[in-house]
Amino acid sequence: MNNKAEAVEAETTQAEMQLSERAANRSYAAQVLREAFTQWGARFGLFWIALLAAVAVFAPFLANSHPLLVSEGSVVSSPMLRYMTIGDFVMLSVFITVVILLFINIRFYKKALILFVMGTLTAIIAFMLVSPPQLTVYDQYRAKQAAGDYEWVIHAPVPYSPKDYIRDEGDTGLEKPLGSESRTHWFGTEENGSDVLSRMIHASRIALGIGFVATGIAMLIGIIIGGLMGFFSGIVDMVGMRLVEIFEAVPTLFLLLTFVAFFDRSLYAMMVIIGITSWPGYARFVRAEFLRLRQQEFVQAATACGLPLRSILFRHMLPNGIAPILVAASFGVASAILAEATLSFLGLGLVDDPSWGQMLNQAVQSSTFNWWMAFFPGGAIFLTVFAYNLMGEALRDAIDPNLKKSAS
Amino acid sequence: MIPTLLGITIVVFAVMASAPGGISSQSLVEGQNLEPQAKKALEDYYNRLYGLDSPAPVQYLRWLNNVSPIGFTFDENREINGFSFFKGSDLGDSFRYGRPVMELIKERVPITLLLNVISIPLIYVIAIAIGVRAATHRGQSFDVGSSVVMLGLWSVPTMLTGVMLIGFFSSDQYWHWFPTSGLSQREALDMAFLPYWSSFVDVLWLFLYSAVGAMLMVGLSRLESLPWRCGAMGALGLVMGILMADALPGESGVVAYLLLGAALALLFTLIAYTDYLALRLVVMGSIGVATGTVLFFMFQSEGFVRGFFLDRSWHLILPVLCLTYGGFAFLTKLTRTAVLENLLADYARTARAKGVSEKDVLWRHVFRNSLLPLITVSATLLPGLLGGSVIVESIFSIDGMGKLAIEAVKARDRELVLSITLISGVLTLVGYLIADLCYALADPRVSYD
Repeated sequence: MNNKAEAVEAETTQAEMQLSERAANRSYAAQVLREAFTQWGARFGLFWIALLAAVAVFAPFLANSHPLLVSEGSVVSSPMLRYMTIGDFVMLSVFITVVILLFINIRFYKKALILFVMGTLTAIIAFMLVSPPQLTVYDQYRAKQAAGDYEWVIHAPVPYSPKDYIRDEGDTGLEKPLGSESRTHWFGTEENGSDVLSRMIHASRIALGIGFVATGIAMLIGIIIGGLMGFFSGIVDMVGMRLVEIFEAVPTLFLLLTFVAFFDRSLYAMMVIIGITSWPGYARFVRAEFLRLRQQEFVQAATACGLPLRSILFRHMLPNGIAPILVAASFGVASAILAEATLSFLGLGLVDDPSWGQMLNQAVQSSTFNWWMAFFPGGAIFLTVFAYNLMGEALRDAIDPNLKKSAS
Repeated sequence: MIPTLLGITIVVFAVMASAPGGISSQSLVEGQNLEPQAKKALEDYYNRLYGLDSPAPVQYLRWLNNVSPIGFTFDENREINGFSFFKGSDLGDSFRYGRPVMELIKERVPITLLLNVISIPLIYVIAIAIGVRAATHRGQSFDVGSSVVMLGLWSVPTMLTGVMLIGFFSSDQYWHWFPTSGLSQREALDMAFLPYWSSFVDVLWLFLYSAVGAMLMVGLSRLESLPWRCGAMGALGLVMGILMADALPGESGVVAYLLLGAALALLFTLIAYTDYLALRLVVMGSIGVATGTVLFFMFQSEGFVRGFFLDRSWHLILPVLCLTYGGFAFLTKLTRTAVLENLLADYARTARAKGVSEKDVLWRHVFRNSLLPLITVSATLLPGLLGGSVIVESIFSIDGMGKLAIEAVKARDRELVLSITLISGVLTLVGYLIADLCYALADPRVSYD
């Protein structure tokens, strides 16, 4: 029986693959995506996120106290490479793989597999080969350069690390944007003297990472629970909906605060916490979609063939109901970024790494009001959230048949 | 309702119990350097509340029994000695404040509710005013403009607005127009409720000033010719911007004058430019009243006691502003979609066909039906506002429930954290209930019998 079911499943997948090859770029999701991204709003959003992703990946190249390349006694070396961490290397390799995969036309799960393998491989290799020095002395380069030890130096565009407080120059501290004569701080410095722009560049990693991972976790939980609710309906649906209601009844921020109070504050804990407090919305969407789909012939056919549950749910139903979830995910990333920023702003976020919310918090904590400390990180949060909201809006318009009908 | 409430308590308790080390670990571990008696007291306290030697489900039941207003009563040896309907709920004691949690929450909830009760009507009025207009004038400049602006407003984080507002408008570095923190000045607590003038003539003068301001502006807003309207408003904005730059403490550069003048001129011209008469009337009228009042107080401020009410409103302006804009931005978009959908519906066409005027179609037929999604959303608006008040209260140092929650989390005062989560859940459920009742009011097809 089981064998037979698998054979049938293999056959259906084969048929499906042939179909999908014929309709290569004409799947519903692709259609929706194409339609959404013809709008300027969505394009702007996509552009900003891509820019942010590039900034996040190349952060050590963009803002670093370690020079990119120096020539010392006719020996060329790169202090920046020496100080790069395993995480930096993994990010770089994953980014490059993604860019390459964008141009290769293979099935989505193969792409995901390649990406995963590349990430793990780089992590393992980097773990064996890379060992950044524990102690970082930022002023050694400035001292050496002042002493004329270098023949030539190539600095990063922003030649300050996020935690470089520039102690060697003595008079550092709070400075307005471009307010100091000897150094260039495009966005000024915070109270300890470190460069605001550099901190923002490195914090973009946290914002992007939290957004994607937390939303991914929330989507996974939401799709599984919502899918089961929608497919089985009846008693499962009722119990599930009560669960959703319970999680929605407690304001998310209070739930987050409760979690933060009782667990430790690391980046990963934060991702998980934001993920498991924001799944009910996705569950609702998936449930609604699946309730609609379960009556349709192809699902009944799949059930009649005796396909296993996971195959019906994820291979047959999910691709047909993914569009509304894409919309929700787009808004969800925005709210996850906001949630992290809020927690950091309230002083309940990451302890030592700068994040945009934590920088806003710094602006509040200082005794005087320094607009650049609030305006730039806050503006970055705003632009990122705005970008995701624009994309969500465009996607929603693209999947809404009502609007299309009325527009014509 | 009741199952959801029970569910909330289970979630809250599960979070607490799944923390590394169990319910009381952190408090007990951090109490390591307490004196032996104090530590004993702490242990006894937790034991009495939860029964630390029992398994987690039993601990949950004990906690539930403590929290619920009816339940079993216990004697000193933790044996059940009766069942009472009036035992009252015991939310435990806060260690940080050394007081029962119930008392603390009773103090703080009204403040948070005050903020929300002011915000919600504001949100709805603005959202409906702009959303309906955008829907009826679909595709025109007002619709497009308001859509972009609302999406932008919706994305501005409350923290940014709060920090910028408090930084620019209530610090000595820029304009010190609003108070920095709290909900009332110390001395205002002793004042009478309403403002008080030493002479009646002053009151008349105030009315005169604001009435003249309002009348001038209303007249201007009703002006038909667009160039005149925009020009006058632009000039007014320019003057105000320059005055604002002049009010900056210290030496303000040419850039400040130019920037502020241009910004305010642009804003005012934009207000004058819109072809939405009602919006223009209200906004420009308020500008007129505000200008008149400010002028009055610039010349005559003796013999005036502002009273508790005015002081409270003065403190509330910035927090309420922060709390509302996200909500109305969201609701405006929703209103627009709902009204648009109903305007294109068959029944609206039928109404038009039988000769009902467009105004009646909109307000008697379409609007009533468009209210339904708005009411549905109001249920989720309340949790959002409660969450938003956490940020707003912490920025403006208002002693509401949100600030209490943050203090509790920072001090790891778990009784307080749990009770606050519970109370906010209950408040949200009450919001759901009210939304359901409103639903029945707006839609006669819905009945709950």
